[in-house]
Amino acid sequence: MVGAFSNIFKIPELKRRVLMTFGLLAVYRIGCVVPTPGINGAALADYFKGLQGTIFGMVSMFSGGALENGSIFALGIMPYISASIILQLLTVVIPYLERLSKEGEVGRRKITQYTRYGTVVLSLFQGFMIAYGLERGMMGPGVVTHPGMAFKLMTMITLTAGTAFIMWLGEQISEYGIGNGISLIIFAGIIARMPAAIVQLFMDVWEAERRVLEIVPIIVLMVVVVGLIIYVERAQRKIPIQHAKRVVGRKIYGGASTYLPLRINTAGVIPPIFASSILMFPTTIAQFFEHPWLQAIGDQLAPGRLLYNLIYVALIIFFCYFYTAVTFNPVDVADNLKRSGAYIPGRRPGKPTADYIDRILTRITFGGAIYVAAICVLPTILISKFNVPFYFGGTSLLIVVGVALDTIQQLESHMLTRHYEGFLGSKGKFKGRR
Amino acid sequence: MPSLRTRFERWLSRARGVPVTYDLKPYERQLAKINAREAALTTQSDEQLHALAASLRQRARDGEALDRLTEEGFALVRETARRALKMRPYDVQMIAGLALHDGQVIEMETGEGKTLAAVAPAWLNALTGDGVHVLTFNDYLARRDAQWMGPVYEILGLHVGFVQEGMRLRERQAAYRADIVYGTAKEIGFDYLRDQLAASVDELRQRPFHFAIVDEADSLLIDEARIPLVLAGSTAERPPEPARLAATVAELRPAIDYETDEHARNVFMTDIGLERLEQRLGIASLHDEANRDLLTTINLALHARVLLHRDIDYIVRDDRVELVDEFTGRVAENRRWPDGLQAALEAKENVGRQEDGRILGSITLQHFIRLYPKLAGMTGTAVPAAEELAQFYELGVVIVPPNKPCIRRDEGDLVFATQAAKEKALVEAIRRIHAADQPVLVGTRTVSESERLAEALHLANIECRVLNAKNDELEAQIIAQAGHAGAVTISTNMAGRGTDIRLGADDFERRRIVQLGGLYVIGTNRHESRRIDDQLRGRCGRQGDPGVSQFFVSLEDELIIKYGLRELLPKTEGASAIDNPRTMREIARAQRIIEGENLSIRKTLTKYTAIVEEQRRMIRDKRDAVLHDEFDLVTATHDAEFYRELVERVGERGVRLAERAVTLHHLVHAWSDHLATVADIREGIHLYSIGQTNIYGVPKDPLNEYQIRVSEAFGAMVRKLEEDIVQTMRAATITPEGLDAQREKLTGPSSTWTYLVNDMPYGHGFERFFKGMKQRILNSPMFR
Repeated sequence: MVGAFSNIFKIPELKRRVLMTFGLLAVYRIGCVVPTPGINGAALADYFKGLQGTIFGMVSMFSGGALENGSIFALGIMPYISASIILQLLTVVIPYLERLSKEGEVGRRKITQYTRYGTVVLSLFQGFMIAYGLERGMMGPGVVTHPGMAFKLMTMITLTAGTAFIMWLGEQISEYGIGNGISLIIFAGIIARMPAAIVQLFMDVWEAERRVLEIVPIIVLMVVVVGLIIYVERAQRKIPIQHAKRVVGRKIYGGASTYLPLRINTAGVIPPIFASSILMFPTTIAQFFEHPWLQAIGDQLAPGRLLYNLIYVALIIFFCYFYTAVTFNPVDVADNLKRSGAYIPGRRPGKPTADYIDRILTRITFGGAIYVAAICVLPTILISKFNVPFYFGGTSLLIVVGVALDTIQQLESHMLTRHYEGFLGSKGKFKGRR
Repeated sequence: MPSLRTRFERWLSRARGVPVTYDLKPYERQLAKINAREAALTTQSDEQLHALAASLRQRARDGEALDRLTEEGFALVRETARRALKMRPYDVQMIAGLALHDGQVIEMETGEGKTLAAVAPAWLNALTGDGVHVLTFNDYLARRDAQWMGPVYEILGLHVGFVQEGMRLRERQAAYRADIVYGTAKEIGFDYLRDQLAASVDELRQRPFHFAIVDEADSLLIDEARIPLVLAGSTAERPPEPARLAATVAELRPAIDYETDEHARNVFMTDIGLERLEQRLGIASLHDEANRDLLTTINLALHARVLLHRDIDYIVRDDRVELVDEFTGRVAENRRWPDGLQAALEAKENVGRQEDGRILGSITLQHFIRLYPKLAGMTGTAVPAAEELAQFYELGVVIVPPNKPCIRRDEGDLVFATQAAKEKALVEAIRRIHAADQPVLVGTRTVSESERLAEALHLANIECRVLNAKNDELEAQIIAQAGHAGAVTISTNMAGRGTDIRLGADDFERRRIVQLGGLYVIGTNRHESRRIDDQLRGRCGRQGDPGVSQFFVSLEDELIIKYGLRELLPKTEGASAIDNPRTMREIARAQRIIEGENLSIRKTLTKYTAIVEEQRRMIRDKRDAVLHDEFDLVTATHDAEFYRELVERVGERGVRLAERAVTLHHLVHAWSDHLATVADIREGIHLYSIGQTNIYGVPKDPLNEYQIRVSEAFGAMVRKLEEDIVQTMRAATITPEGLDAQREKLTGPSSTWTYLVNDMPYGHGFERFFKGMKQRILNSPMFR
C-alpha cells in the first residue's frame, strides 16, 4: 500500500489532482474559521464548551466544526444534500421533473440547476432560523451583538453565500481533483475535529481526570469498529454469472470470471439520516410550542434516551429494507441478465433467478441493517455509559470510512497500468513511438 | 511548435473558455511577409524554384525549425501552384494553410479551396522527411487530390502517394514511403492494424506517424470518432456439435418458444421453449454448469436462425456462407462471422465448414487519430464542435473568412404531422422549383429514403439523379453537375462530398441560375446535430453565389420518434405545414438534447476505451521493439539454465532469432485473447453497477471496477505470454538460424480481413449499457 502511495507522485496528472484536492480542502477549512459578522465568537465558544460531552447530532457533523465557530460555513453542505434528496424524491412524483430526468445531459443539468436553487432557498431559511434562534439565546446569552432585522438579513445572506461557496468548492474538487468533491468536504469536516478530540482524551489522562485503564478499551473499541466498517463496506456476496452467447478464445484468465457482486449495505447512510430526520420533528416542534405535554414527549424522544434509541433502530432497519427494495428490483435484474445472455448456473432465467436473488438480498439486507443500526447507536452508548468526550460512531464514521475507501479506490484506478514495466518496459526508442 | 506569442494568445482565449480564434492578425502578419517575397519568385525559372525547395529541405533536415522556413516555403508553394496548376492560392487560402501548419482546425466554407490550402502546410511539414498524411473523406478524393496536387509537390522535390482500398502490400509500402500520402483515415487505420501482424521489418507498410491534416475534420473526429476499426483473422475454434442442434432449434415456434426484443437484436427462449428443448435433448436443466457449452451452441443456433436473414445479412454462394457488410450492403470478401456464428450459420444452411473469425486487433478512429503527434483539420462546420475538438484532441479552431461573403438564404423549417404529408409536400416543392429550372439538391438521411423519393419524383414525371455513395468517382461527376439548370439531385449525407457544386454549365446559364436564386438545397429531415444540418446547408452558396436552404420535418421522423419526443410535441393533424412556433422550438430542443446525449456517450466511451488503448500501445511498442531486435530475452530471465545450454548449442544470434519469431507469434494470439476477455468483462460490467452503491446509497460508477478488472486481465495475460514463449522455446527445434516458422506452427491466421463496426451481432455493448443504466447512475446530481 505504502509503495502504491509513493507511486502517486510519479504520475504527473495524478499528483496534480491530489494536490489540487488538498488545496481546495484547505480553502474549505480556512473558511470554516472565518466568523460571521455580528456574532460574538467568544460567547458562542463558551456555550459549546459547556456543551461538550453531549450529542450534537447531524447538523454539527455536516458543518464540520463551523457551527461552533459561528463561521460563514456554519450551515455546511447540509442544505445542498437536503435539496438533492428532496429533488430526487420530487422527480418521482412530479411528471415534469421525471421527464427532465429522462432527457439526457440537458435535462440533468436543469435538475442540477434546480437543486442549486433549492439549496439557496433552504440556506436562506436555515440562516433565518439560526439568526432567530441565536437572538433568542438558543446558544447562550450575549451571542448576538446587535440583534434585529439587519442582523437576521446579514446572517441569512452570509450563511447562504458560504454554503454556495462550499458547493462550488465541491464541484471544483470533483472536476479537477480526486474523488467526489462534496463527499470529501464532508469527510474533511468530520475528521478535522478528530485530532482535537483524541488529544483531549489524552489530556484527560495526563491531567489525571481519567485513568489509563479506561482509555485502552476505548481505543481498542474504536479500532475494532473502524475495522468492522471497512470489512463490511468492502464485503461482497458474489453471485456467479455465466455467459453462453459466444465462442471465442475460451481461455479464461484469472480475474475475468463474471459475477454479480452484492454489497451488504446497499443503502449506505441514507437510512440513519432519514431516521434521525424523522425523529427530530417532535423535538423541534416541542421547542417552538411551550406546551408541557409536548415538552414531555420531546424529552423522551431526545437523543440518548431509551425510547429514542429503540425507535431509531427500528426506523433504520425499516429504511434499509425500504431503500433496497426501491432501488434494487430483483425482477429487473433477472430481466437484465436474460437480455445479456447471462444466467446463474443452476437457475433458469426469469422468475427462478429473480426469486433466488430476492432471497439472497433479503438475508443480506437484514445483516446490513443490523450492522448499520449498531454503528449508529454506538455513540449514544459510548457517551452516556462510558463518558467518551466526543461523538464517535454513527453516520459520521460511516461516511468517513466510506468516502476514504471510495477515494482510495479511485486513486488506485489511476495507477493501474504501472505494473508491467518488466516484460513490456521497452527500451527508450520504442516507447510511444506511434 | 507555434510561436510563443501565438501560444499565449491561444491560451488566453482558451482560458476565457473559448477555443475559437477569430483574430487572424498573427497570420495576416505572416501573410504580408509571404506576399512580399512573391515578386522575386515570379522571375525565377522552374529549376531555380526546385533548387530553392531543395535548400529549404536541407535546412529542415539539418534541424532548423520549420517556423523559420514558413514564409519562404509558403511563398514558394504559392508560386509553384500558380505555374503548375494555373491556380494562385488566394490570401484566405494561405492564411488557412498557416493555421493548418499551426496545428489548428480551420473552418472554411465549401468551395473555398481547402484542397489547395492544405498543400503548403503538407509540403512544409514533409521537409524533414518524416512523412505527412492527408486524410480525405473517401478513396476517390484521395486519389483525385494526390494526382491533382502532385505536380506542385514534384516540382518542389517531394514525392506524393496515395492509398486505396484493395491495394496490394508492395503498392502500399511504396505509397507510405512517399513524403506526402493521401488516403482515408479508414484505410490508413487498417494499414496500421495490418502492420500489427508483420513478422519482419520488411513486411511493415507504414513509417512512424508524424503529421496528419484531416479533411472534413468534424465528420471524422466527432461523428465517426467512436467507430472501431477491426482487424480479424480466421481461427479454428468452433462451437461443439452445431449441426444436430440446428435441426432441433429449427423446430422451435416463434413467440411461443422464443422471443426477440424490440430492436430484434436479441433473442431468448421462453420458459415453454426451454422445457421443450430440455425434453427433446433429454437434459434436466440446460442452465446447469455442466451444460454451458451446449447452451452456447443452442444460443448461437437460435441467433443464426432468428436474427440473421439470408440475402440480407448473409448470402449462400458456392456452398459457402458469405457475410454482407452492413455499411456498404455488399458482400464482404473473405470475412467470416465471429464468435461461433459462422459455424451456426453453416449448420443452419447445411453448407460446408469454413473457419470461424476472431478479432486480432482493433482501434477506434478517435484513438487512431490521436496517434499522430501533430494534427490539423479543415471543415466547413467546426465552430459548433470547437469545445469537443479542444477537449479530445487539443485542437483549436480558427475561422477563415470566405473570399466573398456568403449570401445564402436559410429558410425556416416546414413541419408536417406525418411522413406522408411531408413527402407529398417535398414532391410539390421540388416540382415548383424545378419548373423554373432552378437546380435542386435534396439531402436524405438514408439510402432507402433517397430511393423512395426518387420513385415519387419519377411518378410525378420529374427527372432526377440519385447518389448513394456506392461509387464515389461516378458520383463526384454527377454532383458536379448538380448546379446546372433544371438539375434535380438526391443524395445521402455521405455522397458526393468534397466536390464543388458550380452553378450552371457555362457563364450564360450561370447568370440565369443566379437570377433564379442559385442552388436550392432541401433537407428531408433534421439530423442528430445542428452541425450536420449545416454541412448540408453549406453545399450551396459557395464563393458568394446565391443559394437557398430549407428543411422539411415530419413528426414521424426518426429523430422525433427515436428519442421518444413525440409526446412532447403538440398533436396535430392535416397535410399542410404546421405553423406552431412551439413545435419549432421543441424540435430545436430535441436536437440539442440528442447532441448532448451523443456528446456524453462519446465522453464515457472515451473513458472506457482509454485503458484498453493504453494496453494496446504497450503491446504495440513491445512488438515494434521485438521487430527491430531491441529486446531482452525472456528465456534468459525465466530459465537461465536452459538459456545457457541453448546459447552453447546454437549461439546467441540463433536464440535471438528464434525468440523473436516466437514472441511475435504469441503476441498476436495473446492480444486477441485479451480482447475477447475484455469483451466478456464489458458484457458483465453493467451487472456490477446493479449491486454496487457507495456510502450514500447511490449506484457506483462501474468505470472503476471495469478498469481494475481489465487491468488484472492484462497482467494475467502478460504473465501467461511470458510462460508461453519460454515453453515454445523449449519445445522448438532451434538452429543457429533461428527456427522454421512453418514447422513450429508459428504462422499467422490463414486469412485476415478488416471492417468497421456498426452493429455487429451483439450490438455495441457499451451503448446499450449506457442508455439503460444512465438513468440510475447519473440521476443523482449530487453524487457520481
